[in-house]
Amino acid sequence: MTASGERGALGRVLPEGRRFLRGRRRVLLALSGWSLLEAAQTFLGGYGVARALDDGFLAGRTGTGLLWLTVAAAAVLLGGLAVRGVFTGLAGLVEPLRDGLVRRAVDQALGAALADPARAGATAAVSRLTHQTEIARDSFAGLVLTARSFVFTTAGALLGMASLAPALLLVVVPPLLAGLVLFAATFPPMAAAQRAYLDADEALSARVGAIGAGLRDVAASGAGARVAADTGGLIAAEARLSRALARWAAVRALALGAAGRLPVVALLLATPWLLDGGMTAGALLGALTYLVQALLPALHELMTAFGTAGTRLLVVLDRFTHRPDDPAPAPATAPAPVPVPPSPPTAAPAPVPPRPAAVSAPDTAPAPLPVPPPSASAPAPVPPPPGTAGRVPAAELRGVTFAYGPGARPVLAGLDLRVAQGEHLAVVGPSGIGKSTLTALLAGTLAPDRGTVRVAGVPAGADGPAHPESRRALLPQQAYVFTGTVRDNLRYLRPEASAAEVAEAVRALDLGELVRRLGGLDAVLDPRRLSAGERQRLALGRAHLSPAPLLLLDEATCHLDPDTEERAERALAARPGTLVVVAHRISSAVRADRVLVLDGDRARCAPHRELLGRSELYRDLVGRWGPEDPPAPHRPRGASTAAERPRDPEVTPSRRPG
Amino acid sequence: MTTAPAKGADPAPGGDPVPAADSAAAGDRELRGALRHSGGRSAVILLCSLASAAASLAEPAVLGRSLDLLLSRDPDATRWVALCAALIVAEVLLDAATALLNGTVGARSTAWLRTRALGRLLGADPGRATARFAPGDLATRLTANATEAGTVPAAAAGALAAVLPPLGALVALVLIDPWTAAAFLLGVPLLVLLLRAFARSSSAAVGRYQHVQAAIADRLAEVLDGASTVAAAGTAGRERRRILADLPRLGAEGRAMWLVYGRAVARSGVLMPLLVCLVLAVGGVRLAAGHLGVGELVAASRYAALAAGIGAVAAVLATLVRGRAAARRTAGPATLPPVAHGPLTLPADGPGTLELRGVAVVRDGHRVLVALTLTVPGGATAAVVGRSGSGKSLLAAVAGRLTDPDEGRVLLDGVPLDRLTEGELRREVGHAFARPALFGPTVADAIAFGAERPDPEAVRAAARAAGADGFVQRLPYGYDTLLADAPLSGGERQRLGLARAFAHAGRLLVLDDAMSGLDTVTQREVERALAREVRPGTRLVIAHRLSTAIGADLVVWLDGGRIRATGPHRQLWRDPDYRAVFTGADQETQGQAR
Repeated sequence: MTASGERGALGRVLPEGRRFLRGRRRVLLALSGWSLLEAAQTFLGGYGVARALDDGFLAGRTGTGLLWLTVAAAAVLLGGLAVRGVFTGLAGLVEPLRDGLVRRAVDQALGAALADPARAGATAAVSRLTHQTEIARDSFAGLVLTARSFVFTTAGALLGMASLAPALLLVVVPPLLAGLVLFAATFPPMAAAQRAYLDADEALSARVGAIGAGLRDVAASGAGARVAADTGGLIAAEARLSRALARWAAVRALALGAAGRLPVVALLLATPWLLDGGMTAGALLGALTYLVQALLPALHELMTAFGTAGTRLLVVLDRFTHRPDDPAPAPATAPAPVPVPPSPPTAAPAPVPPRPAAVSAPDTAPAPLPVPPPSASAPAPVPPPPGTAGRVPAAELRGVTFAYGPGARPVLAGLDLRVAQGEHLAVVGPSGIGKSTLTALLAGTLAPDRGTVRVAGVPAGADGPAHPESRRALLPQQAYVFTGTVRDNLRYLRPEASAAEVAEAVRALDLGELVRRLGGLDAVLDPRRLSAGERQRLALGRAHLSPAPLLLLDEATCHLDPDTEERAERALAARPGTLVVVAHRISSAVRADRVLVLDGDRARCAPHRELLGRSELYRDLVGRWGPEDPPAPHRPRGASTAAERPRDPEVTPSRRPG
Repeated sequence: MTTAPAKGADPAPGGDPVPAADSAAAGDRELRGALRHSGGRSAVILLCSLASAAASLAEPAVLGRSLDLLLSRDPDATRWVALCAALIVAEVLLDAATALLNGTVGARSTAWLRTRALGRLLGADPGRATARFAPGDLATRLTANATEAGTVPAAAAGALAAVLPPLGALVALVLIDPWTAAAFLLGVPLLVLLLRAFARSSSAAVGRYQHVQAAIADRLAEVLDGASTVAAAGTAGRERRRILADLPRLGAEGRAMWLVYGRAVARSGVLMPLLVCLVLAVGGVRLAAGHLGVGELVAASRYAALAAGIGAVAAVLATLVRGRAAARRTAGPATLPPVAHGPLTLPADGPGTLELRGVAVVRDGHRVLVALTLTVPGGATAAVVGRSGSGKSLLAAVAGRLTDPDEGRVLLDGVPLDRLTEGELRREVGHAFARPALFGPTVADAIAFGAERPDPEAVRAAARAAGADGFVQRLPYGYDTLLADAPLSGGERQRLGLARAFAHAGRLLVLDDAMSGLDTVTQREVERALAREVRPGTRLVIAHRLSTAIGADLVVWLDGGRIRATGPHRQLWRDPDYRAVFTGADQETQGQAR
């Protein structure tokens, strides 16, 4: 990181900082008021000492001297009071900053996670929310405290000296200014060095953490020497930066010496001249008190704070303001640069009739984030014109091609698929072949590179009408359960669901026992105490309650045993509407009306029996357990029990906890 | 760029507790080493800080004398003023030199401690090291802790000098006027007592604040965990409100914290000025009585301030204590016994015969592997099966010397593994794991990771054999995609781990549940490639799947850490207990036990 990078960071952070401070004039005013009181203490401290000497002890009036010293001591206590006031004002400045950073951390994490759910990682986001906001909070408070204290203490001390003998200023101010200028000149390069050091430390920390997580792999690969050499390079780089920081610390010590100690030397050198000008011994003592007791500590704290906390604050704030790799704070669906002509929906989507709530409430979910307002030309679902309902496919893909990057081989290429209303479709294929990509395209959270995806007759992605959640519901493999009541978790996709509807979902998915174990519908659940299977069962109950006519299950039953899975799938298939299931076990495919087999470049879609005859891959997927089944001479033919036979072959293996 | 290593139900290797005394001794030993490493510089720090302390002690007296002479218009004043200026300038220069040396010695010591700890860590038994230190913990030990420990040599050198100014100032007060010294000594306990009355702990406020903050962080983590659901359900706004619901409470607790902190600062801030006032009052009375000059009064007030700085000594001591504790943490890896290697190499054209003779492994006082004796003929594929917790992964680790057995020997082509050089051992024995830790930066680097780097063509060939080529090509930049940017599933990571092992394959390959994340079709393809395209040799395969056992030349059936039986699968299948191993090894239960 160079000094120019440092200026870039300042350029990004400063405008926001000014906006932040402009909105807090009253707090700043209160802070200044208390600081003024502190300055009065500084002033009285030196002035009282000077008068105690001149008017008291030197003049033989001990009582007067003691009185003036009492004034100085009272000023000290008054200063203590001012410090408390300063901290109240400080809280009024620092806490809103922290609030803003927490909000921003949450927004950034949510925006990134929603734009690319597959890569959402909690560690970095939580660190930014807790650790980095605290660094900013402490550093900012330190800077405000010391900068403010320096300004007011200096003002109090200079004012005091002016009132003792104006000539003192002529002597004291030049070296003070010289030291400050020296410090100011060293600040940018020192901050750059500090920032580079922090970066190096983070890189080393990440590397050591990775090594710690892979010690076994390093040893097994015989890469110990290489890893030691690589990491040794990082250690040496950080040591180099640390030595650079030491050099800047030495320069800072010189600047501090110039600003804080040279005025004393200057004062001594000028004393004969000042005494000629009529300055008293008391004024001399007062000036020394100002220099040594007020100015030097304030300078010391200022330079320490700006040398360390200042840079840390800049680094952290820059991370909060400057995230070039962040996607725009997202609407729920990813931005879709799809070259699809914005054709108006040819037919209105067809919500499913038998469920009153599903029809009456297309706008069930409260509008999230900045979703564009529903435009008049593309309205939210309206009842279909009579007679057309049956002809609009529940979902349709035409010539869909999708790749995860410009240089990547497409995951799906020229895929055509039509899912009829009320149909139950299973998707099978080897892992990593694009099944989840297909559900994401149908859900509109991914946009195809070429081709069109329509759900209920309207585009599925961001180019479609608002509130796609009223047309389809997606259940991913990793079920989402949050800290909240069981009821709210079940009603997640339909917050206004009645008690009877919730009870019906609980019954349909056989959740009664689980709900009882969790403490009833109104108990607050702790997601960490639920197994992956229990989370999935709650999510399935949620799907049952969803008003959307199209349900997409992306291996949403992979942590359930086959019987529970079957029951859940049958309950969801019985629900009016269309069901698309990415199958985890082959039994899911057998139950479906039709099966879509994805095989990298090709795709076939047909009923189970027909597919057995047509797709070699499908035969392979279904029949795997056949040849795997070992010869078992002691077992009567046809009497294989579940205990003896390996379970249903998995189409894709369950992912281990990650 | 890694995943955490497997923490399956099989007993993790390692995990012996280390007595605290060991780590304390190791910490002190490492600190002494660091001090020796920068011995000359530390001595200079000591000299500089002693000189600076002497200058700062002399300064008030010289300043007072100069003032007196100046006030009395003594011609001698010039000399004293020059002396005073020289003292102050010397002090500034010495302080700058000390700051430079402090930083330099700190940098050197930190780097030295880090390098030592890293070397010990990489030279230790990886199983034991992983059991002792979590990755995040290691990162803290080698970064923040090492930095703090690195300050000890310089701080120790400077500590001696830190005691001088306060003690010397008190002596000076006595010399100038015993009454001022008495006032100072009387004032200290009185003021401390007075101020203690206001003392209040701030830890409760901090605790409440952190509690609210953790709740907000928990909720954010929850939502990020369910990002797919939230994205699809369009509920981001609702979730944002839910996460931030406690923000006002956080602000309130934060304000309370600042108030407590402010009270503490106000208290400690008034102590020194009040003491100086007290000394000035007594000195003023003595001045009025003619026992003291103005210069002496100035000196007395400066000495009082210096003596009040006795708190700084406590700070230096606290730095040393903290640094020593940090050094113990940094030196944690140094308490791991190093793994020794022998001088031998393997016979050039050996087939890779693996022999275990009476191998036993003890973990946490329990014998987790007992009396294993086993020969896998060169070129054969042996499947190791058994229920969770039967010691399969530990057997895999012992067979490739990722950990040493507590009893017995492991031989490859007749040579004990611990007699081999490290290079020979790792060249000839490869491993693949259920949850490999991958080292990038790129996908190609992750496959090429090892003592020697295979050429790009070999990397691709290995990826093809491991069934990884297809999905790697679908990544945004293919083999050049950064691991950090590659959204890899567990099965895909497994295949990269397999590719890494294939790319460096020697005469023995140990696959520890390394295909559990592959679908059955891919697994069959990988097994086919393993037989034809990877360097031929002996394979030891730990697996849950029936197909692996069926395809193996030999099955080793582990039960409770002992070999229950060895033989061809066909023969073992007659035993109902053996069949139960496969129906019991249920992947779903493992998934749910998350």
